[in-house]
Amino acid sequence: MDFTLSEERKMLQETVGKFFNSNYKNIDKRSENVNLPEGYSKEFWKESSDLGVISALVSPKFGGLGGSGEDISIIFELIGKSLCVEPFLSSAVLSSTVLSSISNPRNDLITEIIEGNLLISFAHCEMNNRYEDHYIETNAYLKNDEWNINGTKSFVMNGDDASKIIVSARINGDVNDRDGIGLFLVDNDQTLKRPYNTIDGYRSTELTFRDLKGELLAKDENALKCIIKANSAGALALSAEALGIMQICFDLTLDYLKTRKQFGKSIGAFQSIQHRMVDMMLEIEQVKSAVMLASSTFEIDDLTRDKNISAAKNLVGRVGKLIAEETIQLHGGIAMTWEYSAAHYAKRLIMIDHLMGDSDYHRDRFKLLSNF
Amino acid sequence: MVINMNFEYSEKDENFRKEVKDWLDETLPKSLSEKVKKYQRLTKEDYEIFMNNLTAKGWLAWHWPREYGGTGWNAIEKHIFEEEIIKASAPRIVPFGVNMLGPVLIEFGTEEQKNYYLPRILSNEDWWAQGYSEPGAGSDLASLKTTAVDKGDHYLVNGQKTWTTLGHHADKIFCLVKTDLNAKPQLGISFLLIDMDTPGVEVKPIITLDGEHEVNEVWFTNVKVPKKNIVGKENEGWTYAKYLLTFERTGIAGVPYSKSALNHLKMISKRSLKNGKPLIEDPIFSSEIAELEIDLLAMEIFNLRTVSAAAEGKAPGMESSLLKIKGTLVRQKTTELLRKALGPQALPYLPEQFDEGWNEMPVGPSYAGPIAKQYFNMRKISIYGGSNEIQKNIVAKASFGL
Repeated sequence: MDFTLSEERKMLQETVGKFFNSNYKNIDKRSENVNLPEGYSKEFWKESSDLGVISALVSPKFGGLGGSGEDISIIFELIGKSLCVEPFLSSAVLSSTVLSSISNPRNDLITEIIEGNLLISFAHCEMNNRYEDHYIETNAYLKNDEWNINGTKSFVMNGDDASKIIVSARINGDVNDRDGIGLFLVDNDQTLKRPYNTIDGYRSTELTFRDLKGELLAKDENALKCIIKANSAGALALSAEALGIMQICFDLTLDYLKTRKQFGKSIGAFQSIQHRMVDMMLEIEQVKSAVMLASSTFEIDDLTRDKNISAAKNLVGRVGKLIAEETIQLHGGIAMTWEYSAAHYAKRLIMIDHLMGDSDYHRDRFKLLSNF
Repeated sequence: MVINMNFEYSEKDENFRKEVKDWLDETLPKSLSEKVKKYQRLTKEDYEIFMNNLTAKGWLAWHWPREYGGTGWNAIEKHIFEEEIIKASAPRIVPFGVNMLGPVLIEFGTEEQKNYYLPRILSNEDWWAQGYSEPGAGSDLASLKTTAVDKGDHYLVNGQKTWTTLGHHADKIFCLVKTDLNAKPQLGISFLLIDMDTPGVEVKPIITLDGEHEVNEVWFTNVKVPKKNIVGKENEGWTYAKYLLTFERTGIAGVPYSKSALNHLKMISKRSLKNGKPLIEDPIFSSEIAELEIDLLAMEIFNLRTVSAAAEGKAPGMESSLLKIKGTLVRQKTTELLRKALGPQALPYLPEQFDEGWNEMPVGPSYAGPIAKQYFNMRKISIYGGSNEIQKNIVAKASFGL
């Protein structure tokens, strides 16, 4: 067994880490990016592309230089550490996973994403869809050889700035059927947009389609397979991101416990506080292990992939709550303030449990995939 | 062993509850309770409307003895009153003057101080703030560093207070200050009343993690405070501070807040869908709600046991600390389950929806907007007013004999 990273991946980790650090020096710098019209820095996004960060998220089969579970984890752990808000998840993971998993992969579009020229968002979630892969109310019908899409997609990450959108829509059957789903590519200039920021500082959008023309990318079994894979890849990326955040939360808290003095000594000198830090440390090691397992089995069969990703994301949800809440409680009032970074890490860590399946969803999926 | 316990309120209590409820129905403006329900930002005037109504009715100083303009209610009546104002979604009674300073002045103030300040508190003429915590003195409050140096006819105050809730509205602030720098921490502290418009007092906002402005830093630079503004004796302020901290904490468990959050949770869980079916039909999620309800049920009885003991004149001791710990945990659990019940609907955050008069379409159901914000905001309740860790120290020290 070997649990160490290869030399190549260590280099990737180091280069990208330095790059993120220099651009996300502090929470004020992040707030600047959050407050830009697109909700992120286009300049930073382009530089990320030049440095090969986007390419590291895509397999060589589709023009990238990475794309393995380990690559995704390395990059997203770093994204978590800097609380970076650029569209890595929406465009580089979710959309490129769909575009590479359809029967006729769209290397042309993937290449443009890698080059930082094209933003594509994946619009699958809906107001009544609670993380499910196949619960879809948006519908598509064929008329004069053209697909028309109607409906509203919710929580579309970077759905305001993206030029194109991949939409899941129901071609036939009931809202909750596994069959009868189609994936479509549409131009985003004809959609009705309602952009907003999420409470943790990311850009999201409601997109409404009225008889919008779309190009069919996949349907039925292949479409569902693509949705599941994209959601799993997203859950893996978010799990790694959460791991990065947890490590920062732990470090910030430990630093604070050493420097904050009350009752004549550092508050970290109190045994009850030390025990709580040990609990946090232990749980972070558990998360790290689960993320490593999920990363290493990302390319194996779908069942193993999804089961291990669900294990990781469930654990991330549970441990994330512990770490976020303990980080605030052990700091005290200071971690309730906007100007201190711990508050922002805690917010993101909690809200990660509201994306790509929460701890309950992934516990249920783990049970299902394990034939309980 | 008591075998004839009676968990019912007496007829007299029920009549009192009806009186409070009817009065609230009649006098609390609908627009105001709507704002509270929607977690919209309250202005200074919003608080004052409700408090002036209470003044007119003679109910503002519900903790005070009758001779000072209080209600003279017993602990059960106070409990009922508090429950009803929360149920009615009234703004909270700003506690710093009427609930905190008032009782201290009644117990330790001079006749002159009582005659001057108490009527002004009763009429809402003065808005008080609390100057306790400092950047270096939180859990260890006695280590505070703000100094008041004796200059003959006045004290010269220098230092900084923090976490001053609604201090930006305040006209006056009561402060713990060091008057003897050489004494042991608890011994050199005095209790001082300071006008906020004295030269050298500066209020700076602290923006909290939800982007809101409720708390402040208050800075004192060479602030001249007349000698007559000291409460009680010099260097004995710690006694008064402790008196204030332990005064009337029967409402500390926040039972009515958790009850209303639990009802809200059930409503949302019926409307949220999981696999196309109401979330409340999910056996695991509904079990979580049930366990929360059981915790709350037990805590309500725990609280009433304490209230009823207080009504018989027994001062609550460690029960206050235990209720604070459990009360904050239960209340935080309600905000966590509310957040979970929403799923992805908890994500959108439109800060402008908390402004009065906002009437755009929300993103998702209208109840979703404040939920995540409330979850994060409520992290404070296990930190302020003596953190849960400090409460545990108090209980352990007072009751184990270790």
